[in-house]
Formats: sequence, structure tokens, C-alpha cells
Amino acid sequence: MKKLLVTLCAAMLLMTGCGGGADKPATDKPADNFSAAELKLGMVTRLNTDEKTMGGVLDQFAEKIGIKGTKHLPKFYDSFNAMQMGLESGQIEAISTYNSVANYVVANNDKLEIVPNDALNKITDAFCFAVRKDETALRDDLNKVIDDMKSDGSLDKLINDYVTNVAKGQTPPAVDIPKVDGAQTIKVGVTGDLPPLDLILADNSPAGFNTALLAEIAKRLNRNVEIVQIESGARAAALNSKLIDVVFWVIVPLGDDLPIDLDKPEGLELSKPYFKDDVAVIKLKANK
Amino acid sequence: MDFTDLLYKIFLKDGGWLTILNGLWVTVQISALSLLLGTVFGSLLCFFRLGKIKPLKVAAQVYISIIRGSPVLMLLMLLFYGVFARQGLSPIVVAVITFSMHTAAHVAELLRSALMALDKGQVEAARTLGFSKWQAFKLVTFPQLVRIAKPVYQSTVVNLIQWTSVVGYVTITDLTRVINNIASRTMQPMITIIGGMIIYLALSYLVYGIFHWTDRRRTQ
Repeated sequence: MKKLLVTLCAAMLLMTGCGGGADKPATDKPADNFSAAELKLGMVTRLNTDEKTMGGVLDQFAEKIGIKGTKHLPKFYDSFNAMQMGLESGQIEAISTYNSVANYVVANNDKLEIVPNDALNKITDAFCFAVRKDETALRDDLNKVIDDMKSDGSLDKLINDYVTNVAKGQTPPAVDIPKVDGAQTIKVGVTGDLPPLDLILADNSPAGFNTALLAEIAKRLNRNVEIVQIESGARAAALNSKLIDVVFWVIVPLGDDLPIDLDKPEGLELSKPYFKDDVAVIKLKANK
Repeated sequence: MDFTDLLYKIFLKDGGWLTILNGLWVTVQISALSLLLGTVFGSLLCFFRLGKIKPLKVAAQVYISIIRGSPVLMLLMLLFYGVFARQGLSPIVVAVITFSMHTAAHVAELLRSALMALDKGQVEAARTLGFSKWQAFKLVTFPQLVRIAKPVYQSTVVNLIQWTSVVGYVTITDLTRVINNIASRTMQPMITIIGGMIIYLALSYLVYGIFHWTDRRRTQ
């Protein structure tokens, strides 16, 4: 019992050290050190490219828009959590993510801030559904719903309500997905690791943009949609073994910002993008 | 936001603590069932491994070396997404099967090493004194076996609880998964993961406590 108490006290002290950082400098690096010659940049693991290739592409992109002298050294992480811990522990100097995610992150963690006017802000990536190679009919159905929602303005409305206009420090609500008796069920894999697009609430229910979009898809396709939460790293295995039919988000480069063959998926069919977002870079707040 | 508010937001707000308890319950269920089945299967394996029937002996040897040498996450993914993918088994059942298989290999080896540490002469003496095989095992071998194997078995139990933290890969929401979800939602991974670690630590200490209590009861 004595041992247990001692261990718990030690853990609590450790916790206070890590969490009570409001008055403590978040990092020893001065603000101007961030734009150093080599930038260790955390990124979510891409579909089919490696860290070195991605680094070269980012350097080329920065040069193309006239920013020279920064060498990007990407480090891929399977989850945003791990990436954030990498940033807080100094393994990486910044995180490359998206405007929507970055706004949510800085609203919920006051140790972090968005880097203004970063070269990478000019890159836009697309968020698509992924299905198995042989499920072209399902991909076409999803594409049709995305097209319809784009043309009637309902997709933009969902993006505004569940992504853009989420109040600071709040989580977007869960949307009930309608049940259709006897209809076919589409199982969609989510990670819960990309708020506000994909998150899990305190009561363990999926919430946010994904539930809103999937509820609309269920309604328009007249099918049931079941959400399955799964680790990012297991999504491909789950899709191939038919445990899920759709992966909710796969991120691919959009337009000609980055080479189109940089991150081509293999063994997957992607839907049309349902959401696109500019890259945002997050770093620890500098010493004051 | 001060530290207490942050802790409240992470661990308690909107019934978050209930979700953590549910996750903990899933971890305990998978661990307890796997321990039970793994111990039974492991004892059987050890029996085959030390027995005189050659094919069973070889099969047990091969099984133990393959399973002990494989990372449990890969075994879990292989069984869930491969072997049992079309059987319609629930993820929890597949997780229990995987961890039972894994625990069994470890239990078989720990029992074998405990048996090898015993003095064979004692059983022979018991047999000479007229004890049956079963009586010699029950009264001479088994009590000593338990005493020798217990410390290693205890760490196998604690290891098992920690191995189960990978079940998020097969869609199970256990304690680790709940902790990761909270970390993603609140964007406070460090504090959340330390909180999760303390819960795992408490669970491990509970196991140590139970073993310690049984030891004390035996000596009284």
C-alpha cells in the first residue's frame, strides 16, 4: 500500500510538471529559431510515399513559391496524438496539418500556436472516401451524393456548421444517422483522431462532421450507415478483409501544388473529394 | 484554464469518467478470460510438451516457439483480419482467443521451468511410500510447483493486461482506446496518457495485491 501511494504521488508530480505548463515556457527555442535551415516537420502517415520523397517535394514547392533555404525533414506519425507528443517533447519542431484541425487544436491547447504565413499554407489537400478496388458501384454512389450535395449547397452548409463555425474550445455535436429497415448497411471506418472532422465524444459516441455527412449519405442512398472506430494503422486491413466498406478519410494532394503521382493509392479506389483544406503549420508557443 | 479545470475537462466532464470505466471493464474482461483460458490451455501444452507422445510433444514445442516468437499485435491482426475474417466472430472473442493463445505459450514454458526445478526424488519417494501417481502430484509436486511458478505467473498476468492495450486495432474500445480518444478530442495527450498509465498501474498493483494476499493466507 505504501509503495502504491509513493508511486501515485510520483506520477502526480510528473503530471503537474507536464500539464501545468501555463506559466512555464513551452519550449526553449526562441521564436526565430523555427525558420531554421532544417525543419523537422510532423505529418500524418501518407498513403504511398516516404518521408524522404515528401521532404524533397516540400522543398521544391517552397522554392517554387520563392522561399529558399529551408530544408523540410518530414516525420510520419500514425496518429495526431503521437505527433503532438513528438512536438511537445521536441522530436519535431512543427506539425503540418490543416486549417480546420489547426484551429481546433490551438483552441483546446494553449501551448500551441499556428505559424503565420508559412510556405506550406499554399498547399491544398483533398479529403476523400476510400473503398475497395472492386467496389466501383459504391464509389459511384458516394460520388453522386457528393456531387448532389455540392450542387444544392448542403455540403457547404455541413462544412460551415461542423467544421468552420465550431465555437472556440467546443466540440461539434453528434448527428444521429437514420435507420432504414431492411436496407443494406455500409460500414464506415473512422479513427476519431482528426477533430473536428472525425472525433469521439466523452460518452464514446462518434461526433462531428463525419456523423453529419454520413447521416446525409444514409438518407440520400436510403441505406444504413454503421460507424466503426478503428486505429489508423488498421484501416487498410479492415477494408481488405471486408470488416468495413469505406474508409472515412484519406488525404491526397489536390491540384498541381504537389506532383500528382506523389501519393497515389494502391489497392484502393478514392471518391471525389468531399472536403478540401489548406495546410496549416502548428508549433509550440515561443518563449516570451 | 488552470490545471484542475483541465483535469476536470479531460477525465470527468460530460460523463467521461464513465467511458473510462467502461474501457477499463473491457480491458479487465479480455484479460481475465484470456488468463483463464490461457492457463488451462498452457497447462495442457506443458503436459504434452513433457509427455511421452512424440507427435504431441513436437506439436507443443513448435506451437510454443512460434507463438512466443511472434508479436501479439501481428497475431491479433492476422487472426482478426485473416483467419477469422469470414467467421462473423465478435472482435472481443477474437481478442480473447489471441491473448489466450499467447498466454498459453508463456504459461506452458513457466510451468515447464518450475517442474524442472523440482526434485524428482521426492515424487519417487512418495511413489515408493505407496502414493498413487495422482496423489504424488497433488500432495508433493503441485504445492511446490505453485510456490515456484507464482512470481513468474504474476508477471505474466501483468504483462497480459498490458498486451491487451493493442485491441484498438480490431475495433475494440478498451482503456487505451478510450484514453487515445480523449487525448484526440481534448488535444492534451501528455496529461491524458499519464492518467491512463496511472489506471493501468493501479490495475497491476491490484494484481500484485491479490498475489500478496494469497501468499499471506498460505503462510498464516
